[in-house]
Amino acid sequence: MNSLISIWADRRANWVTFALWGLATAFVAYVFVAGGYLITVLQFALIYTVLVTGLNVFMGFTGQVSFGHNAFAAIGGYSSAVLAATYGWEPLPAGLVGLAGSLIVAFIIGYPVLRLRGHYLAMATLAIGLIVYEVAVQWQSVTQGYMGISGIPPIGIGRWSIMSDRGLLAFLLLAAALALLSAAGIRRSRLGRAFVAAAGSEDAARALGIDVARYKLIAFMISAAYASIAGSLFAYTVGFVSPEVFGLQMVVLAFTMLYVGGLGTVTGPALGAIIISVLPESFRAFKDYQDLAYGAALIVILIYAPRGLASLPDLWGKWRRRTA
Amino acid sequence: MSLLRLDGITRRFGGLVAVDNVSLEIPAQHLSAIIGPNGAGKTTLFNMIAGFARPSAGRVHFDGDEITGLAPEAIARRGLIRTFQLVQLFEGLTVLENVKVGCHLHTRGGLLAALLPTRAARAEEALVESEARQLLAETNLEAQAETLAAALPYGQKRLLEITRALAARPRLLLLDEPAAGLNRQETDLLAALLRRIVDSGTAILLIEHDMSLVMNVADEIAVLDFGRLIARGKPDEVRRNSDVIAAYLGSAEVADA
Amino acid sequence: MLDLVAQSIISGIGVGAIYGLIGIGFCVIYNASGIVNFAQGAFVMLGGMLTQVAMTRFGLSLPLAALIAIVLVAACGVIFERVVVRPLWNRGSTMFVMILATLAAQIVIERVTQIVAGDQPRTLPVFTDRPPLKLLGFAINFQFLWILGCSAIVIVALALFFSSTKTGKAMRACSINREAAALQGIRVSRMLALAFALSAALGAFAGILITPTQYTAFNVGMPFAISGFIAAIVGGFGRPFGAFAGGILLGVAQALAIVFVGAAFKNIAALSILLLFLFVRPTGLLGSAK
Repeated sequence: MNSLISIWADRRANWVTFALWGLATAFVAYVFVAGGYLITVLQFALIYTVLVTGLNVFMGFTGQVSFGHNAFAAIGGYSSAVLAATYGWEPLPAGLVGLAGSLIVAFIIGYPVLRLRGHYLAMATLAIGLIVYEVAVQWQSVTQGYMGISGIPPIGIGRWSIMSDRGLLAFLLLAAALALLSAAGIRRSRLGRAFVAAAGSEDAARALGIDVARYKLIAFMISAAYASIAGSLFAYTVGFVSPEVFGLQMVVLAFTMLYVGGLGTVTGPALGAIIISVLPESFRAFKDYQDLAYGAALIVILIYAPRGLASLPDLWGKWRRRTA
Repeated sequence: MSLLRLDGITRRFGGLVAVDNVSLEIPAQHLSAIIGPNGAGKTTLFNMIAGFARPSAGRVHFDGDEITGLAPEAIARRGLIRTFQLVQLFEGLTVLENVKVGCHLHTRGGLLAALLPTRAARAEEALVESEARQLLAETNLEAQAETLAAALPYGQKRLLEITRALAARPRLLLLDEPAAGLNRQETDLLAALLRRIVDSGTAILLIEHDMSLVMNVADEIAVLDFGRLIARGKPDEVRRNSDVIAAYLGSAEVADA
Repeated sequence: MLDLVAQSIISGIGVGAIYGLIGIGFCVIYNASGIVNFAQGAFVMLGGMLTQVAMTRFGLSLPLAALIAIVLVAACGVIFERVVVRPLWNRGSTMFVMILATLAAQIVIERVTQIVAGDQPRTLPVFTDRPPLKLLGFAINFQFLWILGCSAIVIVALALFFSSTKTGKAMRACSINREAAALQGIRVSRMLALAFALSAALGAFAGILITPTQYTAFNVGMPFAISGFIAAIVGGFGRPFGAFAGGILLGVAQALAIVFVGAAFKNIAALSILLLFLFVRPTGLLGSAK
């Protein structure tokens, strides 16, 4: 199982990862100083870092599959949008309502869905994502359908809110950092070990007293929480939500980031999110071709580097051996 | 009272009877073995004891409580830990982490412990760490603590699986062909380890094909053939039993043992 | 009211037959390779689009344009298999990676089509330009008859192919046990390519049949893929003719949902049926798939 071997690559704090982190940090610093359009790009990358980190807990650590986490991002995003924009709620409570909603939905559908395996599980989760999309489109009285909800207030408490781009960027950096730290904490803990054990061998895990069904559900709910928070962050950062925002494109994007960064690694989601957000900016002139580029790039990555960045040390090693 | 009691355990697959009315008592503090030719139903029997399969008929009692049809994790919680015929390690975890998973049953940390480094959480992690390292030292795997489980040679993978099972503090250890694939030297080391385990208070029930191992270490042997129990007793008695010899007819293993 | 219901059921059967044909395509590939091909919808879309382009740009007659389109799409299926599926297969990728790759391929094909052909919807002329047939008080479109008729022919042809021809039997052997089939001298890789060609052709055919009753555009593929997949699940994944039955069921259920609950629930109804079957009876109506 490729994903589990990625965790190994992560443990060897190899120089490639360090180099990439160095570049990422330099990049973030640059964006803070230079400002401009790049701030929006980085904000986007940080929001996706939260989403992909959660997805990584479910798919990378616990070895499951979900094509539908955009559903939870939608629940979080729309709850925040509707409550804050339409009903004038404070951003934080609105986000918490979205979080609670996502957790409840994850719990209810988790039980039947997680009994499925393989492509059945993939399809069931895809169906859930599509259902939530449909609801967003059809429940026009609440969601305004295709038009979406705009005028979502920025994040803040009471009269004090984060209005500046850089301030928002700092806040999102904090959010992404918390996401990564918590995922690292989970991986190192008894809970994380149970997740990876369930991924490695369900039978062996159960033979050691681990209630695999329950732990899969816990992983599912944790990842739903991350997705919901990411959705809310998106709503507050961009100020606008629509069904398309949380559609299939989000799924493909998240997967690309997850794979490039390295499925199952702790830091992969962040690196993948930054790379995938930043790279296409060089193709900005070819706006129409962006989806095409994503799709083609994803296929190439899946074929030649399914462990994403974690494959780099291997590829480098192979090249060294060849020229030695 | 015996530690494990099987009453009339039967398993049918359609018209085929894989395990036929097996009744057996496994005492505590002993190393018991179940042997039999291939296809005799040994692993199916194990699966039913450990909760991985439901008996078509019959009951299983562990330490007085009925455990028939319970889920594997519930049975494990009662102190009955099994290993598998094809080694089931957690390939993505290191050797040390594999053993730590074994400690899962007697620890409690959950999501909160993972996110907030409270004193209790850190204490528990430290305990798990030292316990796991100690077990690895006892089975001579400590040098590989940080190696990925997937990278171990086969013999050590088997050893790791047993070490991990021990971390769960079992009262009865069910070992499914622990010597399969091991060479002579590894088998001897395994035999010594098994005796050490039993001497320290954990009962063992093992399935084996390797006659010499079984004859050397087992206190009691039960023989299965075509799903039925055909003999029971001490190694010497079983070895001389004509039904057993007939069941293994043509096999050089019985003669060698 | 009853009239409305009956009329809905009739049109539901028509759409359902299309879902069924797409579902059969899913099954053929799944049986041959064990993967779920999400690019199936793209083949459906290409069928309609290529036929329309052949007719308008090159002035070909409908039957000729349709034939050429089907052949081209079948070729696309083979290319897809060679370029995307085979490398993943050879590297032993997980099933999830394969599904993801086919999804990505679907997106790529969609975008290329959008770039080349624009996003204007197009349509094909109905096959028989006559007013609907009046049968027992119901209006039956000629297109509906075409759909049913062609589906029936295709199904019979497929049944004969799988049961009586050497290649068909070889494909069935592959689906039952690939290694044993290879040992028997069956060229498994060729069977795989053939499965994709067949599945793509079925999808294209379905697309051509349904386009006259609605429209085609670069993005109609995905909804069809989902419907076809639901049909395959309902029928019992791996059983082609079950998929057809599942498609009919889905079409009718959807039509009834529109009548009784509203058009907004069309997709939710379909997806709910999918979830229901996945939870309760993943092996489908006709029982155990692989």
